[in-house]
Amino acid sequence: MTLLGPSGCGKSTTLRCLAGFLEPDGGEIEVDGQSILATPSNRRGFGIVFQNYALFPHMTVAENIGYGLRLRKCSGSEIGTRVRDVMSLVKLTGLEHRMPREISGGQQQRVALARALVLKPKLLLLDEPLANLDARLRDEVRWLIRDLQQQSGITAFYVTHDQSEAMAISDMVAVMKKGRVAQFASPREIYQKPVERYVADFTGEANFLSCRSLEACGEGRMRISVGGAELDVDCVASLEPGEAAELLLRPESLQLATLGEDVTFRGRIVKSAFLGASQHCEIALADGGVLKLTTPPNDPVRIGDEVGIVVDRSHAWLMPEGTE
Amino acid sequence: MSGGATMFTQQRPVGFGFTLLIVLLYVFLLVPLVTIVGASFTAGLLIEFPPRGFSLQWYREFFARRDLVDGLLLSLRVGAITAIVTTIVATMAALCGQALSGKRSGWFQLGMTLPLLVPELLTAVGLLFFLFKIGLGKTVLGLQMGHILMSFPYAYVSITAALRQVPSSLDEASASLGATHWQTFRMVTLPLIMPGVVMGAIFAFINSFDLYTISLLLKPLGGNTLPLALFDFLTYEFKPTAAAAATISIVLSVIGVALVQRLVGLQRAF
Repeated sequence: MTLLGPSGCGKSTTLRCLAGFLEPDGGEIEVDGQSILATPSNRRGFGIVFQNYALFPHMTVAENIGYGLRLRKCSGSEIGTRVRDVMSLVKLTGLEHRMPREISGGQQQRVALARALVLKPKLLLLDEPLANLDARLRDEVRWLIRDLQQQSGITAFYVTHDQSEAMAISDMVAVMKKGRVAQFASPREIYQKPVERYVADFTGEANFLSCRSLEACGEGRMRISVGGAELDVDCVASLEPGEAAELLLRPESLQLATLGEDVTFRGRIVKSAFLGASQHCEIALADGGVLKLTTPPNDPVRIGDEVGIVVDRSHAWLMPEGTE
Repeated sequence: MSGGATMFTQQRPVGFGFTLLIVLLYVFLLVPLVTIVGASFTAGLLIEFPPRGFSLQWYREFFARRDLVDGLLLSLRVGAITAIVTTIVATMAALCGQALSGKRSGWFQLGMTLPLLVPELLTAVGLLFFLFKIGLGKTVLGLQMGHILMSFPYAYVSITAALRQVPSSLDEASASLGATHWQTFRMVTLPLIMPGVVMGAIFAFINSFDLYTISLLLKPLGGNTLPLALFDFLTYEFKPTAAAAATISIVLSVIGVALVQRLVGLQRAF
């Protein structure tokens, strides 16, 4: 699972509490129903991977990985085998005798990963492990982490501020806001059915239209009036009819259409940018709202054109009005 | 490790005046050393430079004199114990200082370097009273304590500087891998700060070897350190034996500095 949030929202603090480097001001941390607050970090049995790798600079790669085994008084031959196994797992074979400063950032992070994994931890804590890597390495190491986690079956607790990283790597995501979890759900649900505007904003490009909810029409569905149209959309379960609400429309659920057809909204193109694989444009609606959307690269898009917009209603989502 | 930084240092053009200043500075610093070392090899009967001929007679004379040799031996012994004890205590103090945060760490730092800030004479007088109070006045142990006190800041500063280079995430990584505090210290922290520790020990030794004021007040009955013995000697005689003794001190200091250079590299030391 992943803790996702902007910097300063408390995700690293949470991780450090789990690791035992910080003592929480209150509350409880339980593993399998047992409190671990009184257990010092060296007996929690968690593996930790740090943003800055935290390799021991005076030890070789193999010594770094074998460090935890040496502490556990494993025999020399057992250390040798286990270090070799885990090194081939993270594709580092051949670098045993290098010093950490002699290998690349991506390799260093894999050493850090191997050092944690070789002890078969109960829980793997990863604190922004990709933050110091360049984009290409980031992808590579990200998939490696995912694969290793799947193979070993070790629960991993991942901290990041990068939403695409969070969604790609995790089964569950907790979006954090000012030290609290705003939403804890699968990546799909976080993205498509966020509980509040903050979550929607943080997980990707989003359009918000304020609207009036008219009446409930079935379980978790609501009829709303927005921008001169009436729509039936899915909504947050706790929402009451009549409450002020916001409609979330992801750019990919919107489509440009010529006027006159079965369009949901009418508007005027105010901005456009050609991005190669797609075009990005912004459309001002009659009631003052602005919608961002992407269109195929060869659609004729001219600033000032009157256009219609078709909404994929199955991907529209209604939330209570944001409190921010 | 230090090579990486120097590799990219750009050579700045240096003016003639600046070069001259540096040369003069070195001359100023080195003239006394060269003079005294030169004078110690004289074949004449007085300390003079340039020396009159070459002979080792004053070294023979030095080693023949009980008072000077005893002084040298006491200085070596006190210096060695000072180096060992100071380094251990200073390492513990540096670890403690690192664990403190913010304002408290600043005060702690100040307290640990106080012997550098208070005039040596004051410390010596204070210690003298204290040592008599606890029955250690005029004993080798008392002298030893004074030397440890005066050398402590050098070791402390050097070890603290080394400790600052060790990121705290290494401690945390080590703990997460199952190490106790002691294991982390022995297997991670200590190896990483070792250059600073060695340097601290050597500076503590050199400093102890040079102390005069505090030794004068705290010296044991009938015992003299080398600087004291030398001063006593010079009060009555002006023979090149003193130059020989000084040369021996210089050689010991140079060996110390060479060790630092060998083990740590002087660039990192300062």
